[in-house]
Amino acid sequence: MTIPLIRVDHLSKVFRVPEREPGLKAAMRALFHRTYRQVCAVQDISFTIGEGEIVGLIGPNGAGKTTTLKILAGLLYPTSGEVTLAGYIPWQRRAAFLNQIGMVQGNKSQLLWDIPAMDSYHVLSEIYRIPMRQFKETLDELVRLLQMEDLLTRPIRNLSLGERMKCELVAGLLHRPKVLFLDEPTLGLDVTTQNRLRLFIAEYNRRFGACILLTSHYMADVEQLCPRVILIHNGQLLHDGALQGLAERMAPFKLIRVTLDGGVAINRGLPQLPEGAELLERNENHLILRCSRSAAPVVTSCLLSACPVTDLTVEDPPIEAVIDQVYREGIA
Amino acid sequence: MNHRGGWALIKRTWMSWIQDRGFFFVLAFGWMIPPLVALFAWMAAAGNGTIAGMDRRAFAGYYLVLVLVNQLTYSQTNWTLGDIIREGMLDSWLLRPLSPFYQVLSSEVAGKVVYMVFVIPATGLLAILLQPKVDISPSRLGLFLLALILAWGLRFFWGYWLALIAFWASRADALLAVQDSLVFLLSGVVAPIALLSPSLQTAAILLPFRYMVGFPVEILTRPLSDEILLQGLAIQIAWLMTALLLTRIVWRAGIRHYASARG
Amino acid sequence: MRPFHLIYRFMKASFQEEAAYRVNFYIRLLHSLLNLLVGVVGVGVLFYQVQSLQGWSYSQAMALLGVYLLIGSLRGLFIGPSLESLAGLGREIWTGNFDFTLLRPVDTQFLVTFRQWRFFALVDLILGIGVITSSFMSSTPPGLLDVVAFLFALAAGTAVLYAILLIFTSLVFWGPGFLFTWVFDALFQLARYPVGIYPPWLRFILTWLIPVGMMTTIPAEFLTGSGSLLLLGSSLLTSGLLVLAASLIFHRALRRYTSASS
Repeated sequence: MTIPLIRVDHLSKVFRVPEREPGLKAAMRALFHRTYRQVCAVQDISFTIGEGEIVGLIGPNGAGKTTTLKILAGLLYPTSGEVTLAGYIPWQRRAAFLNQIGMVQGNKSQLLWDIPAMDSYHVLSEIYRIPMRQFKETLDELVRLLQMEDLLTRPIRNLSLGERMKCELVAGLLHRPKVLFLDEPTLGLDVTTQNRLRLFIAEYNRRFGACILLTSHYMADVEQLCPRVILIHNGQLLHDGALQGLAERMAPFKLIRVTLDGGVAINRGLPQLPEGAELLERNENHLILRCSRSAAPVVTSCLLSACPVTDLTVEDPPIEAVIDQVYREGIA
Repeated sequence: MNHRGGWALIKRTWMSWIQDRGFFFVLAFGWMIPPLVALFAWMAAAGNGTIAGMDRRAFAGYYLVLVLVNQLTYSQTNWTLGDIIREGMLDSWLLRPLSPFYQVLSSEVAGKVVYMVFVIPATGLLAILLQPKVDISPSRLGLFLLALILAWGLRFFWGYWLALIAFWASRADALLAVQDSLVFLLSGVVAPIALLSPSLQTAAILLPFRYMVGFPVEILTRPLSDEILLQGLAIQIAWLMTALLLTRIVWRAGIRHYASARG
Repeated sequence: MRPFHLIYRFMKASFQEEAAYRVNFYIRLLHSLLNLLVGVVGVGVLFYQVQSLQGWSYSQAMALLGVYLLIGSLRGLFIGPSLESLAGLGREIWTGNFDFTLLRPVDTQFLVTFRQWRFFALVDLILGIGVITSSFMSSTPPGLLDVVAFLFALAAGTAVLYAILLIFTSLVFWGPGFLFTWVFDALFQLARYPVGIYPPWLRFILTWLIPVGMMTTIPAEFLTGSGSLLLLGSSLLTSGLLVLAASLIFHRALRRYTSASS
């Protein structure tokens, strides 16, 4: 049996946070006595990730995604549990380990604000001991993929958010990390730029075979990039597998959209609904029905034989709706 | 003027400052040090004798009062004001149905209270260690308080109009640094005015800086003649009027500039 | 050789950053001149009234002031800016950008010590040397050996300064709002004058707890001819121990950061 690139075993992390009530009195009390609360950011999580995988880490705000990411990157000590990444224990922060990981965060910058990205890259190449030839090769390739030749020589503060993100990505990838942590990489970007970055991430993964761990609140990121998602909610792992699988588990029904022949349908009134189908919406001669996954074929054929159907589609409920349901209610 | 809103603002500012009291205690600690260094230097210089009629304990008395007065009249608000103008945060102040002056006043009042919570016990402790000598005649106490209030007004508004230069020049805080240095040299911090060389002494008496810190301290701890006292008060009031006038002029011109320059 | 390459890169990037704001040059120049003015007038006013201060003559006190400016400039050159970019208000620990620093495969202490340079501090360096030189106009200049001893003592003083600032920086991990430069600036003010002038309780603190005296008084004593080999030896030893202790505390702070932050 081969050892997976990342192995997380019964990982837990508990924080102690100070608590304070509002108001002057509470403020005075807090002068002398502070109360604390234990918060379980991550509870007993286990998973493994292989080389070259792209995995999406999803969950609502405060679910424990960032904590998990930080533990994997060696920035946080866990309270209990074991983690190995490429054979290293992350929080020992060995140089050899740090050389294999890269991190890019949508809301934080690792570049120097007042000088062009190129100069920051030179500093990074020294820090990561990147040989000059490899540095040039990697930089050329990344710059070509991101189409950002003209950004290298301008001070970061003069760049737009999207341009800055491109520069951040290059900064995180210059040393060709084996594992890349992307924390909300598309935060605040316009749709076009988001798309371009997604294409880049997928291309980078294909070309360099890097393992990518991505957190995002944009479902489009996850849908397009991640064959596998890990859903964390209230610090617990709720789902590990394909996004589609989550949708099927969470929403075991299909939506059927039907358009009826106008004149005939209105004269005849509503046809008898097939068993197991439920009318969600009716707008003139357009209908939306819901039925369980297993009943879908029967319902469809009933409709086709009983009604003057001009158009019919069967679809899954939108992923956003499913995720919204999970975030609000968890998984039953 | 919207006084209710003003008071609410003062209360809120004070509350948030009390929560971060450690921060402000550290600030106050920093401001105490320069006068104390000067005090220790003068105490060492005096040894067991006197300099210009002041012995060790007289120096201690002068400087401990000065530490209190310096803290009461210093307004760090003026530094913040420049930042706020520079970073364009003034907009949110101007949007409120409340004179922006209240914003400044609220942090001024909140600051004084929080700083004093630290400075008074600290000075008390130093008083036990250094055994200062202060002869206070009750008649001088009233004059001291008057001069203290005038000193606060003068130092505050003098810094205020300097800070407002930020409407035109982004690094106007340099002017405040110059003011702080001049206050250190000419307001009786580096040495009581009477110990300066004659030329520096003349400059100190004519320029506004002595009337921001040193003058009230002298009233309380030095034997000033009635004539010098009245002369001092007159100069102090004259400078305060000048500062108020300048503040008014610069604020009006500044707001006009701010509103037009930013389109 | 690698550390020097890295430091060279840091210097280069810092220089470019500094050059991006030319107005700051004049503002800094103003601050330097004000600092010089305050120092010179302060000593001048004192010696206008007395002939000597606890055995220090006017020219000796000026030499001490020169050392004070000199060591202040060494702090301003890289120790101060580097540590402030880590722990200052609104800086790395505050914003969480320290994560990136931790992710670098380079010793973290090395990184936070050397990465920011402010070459303007060289102006202060020149001013300091100028004040020291001018203080010898009216007294006998030190011999070559004294100057060598002075340089060693100055190095020890700089190491002490670095150690104390690193300890203060570490405290920021426990309380992110701790104004460590502010506290240090305040204590550093005490180094303008010889430690001997302070009352015994304060002298005790400045000798054993926060050895401000080692930063200026002891180096200045070698310039004014009252240093001894024993003093130099103990000064070097103390600074070494202090740097070691500071390093330990810094690593504890790092551990705390990685176990407690969210």
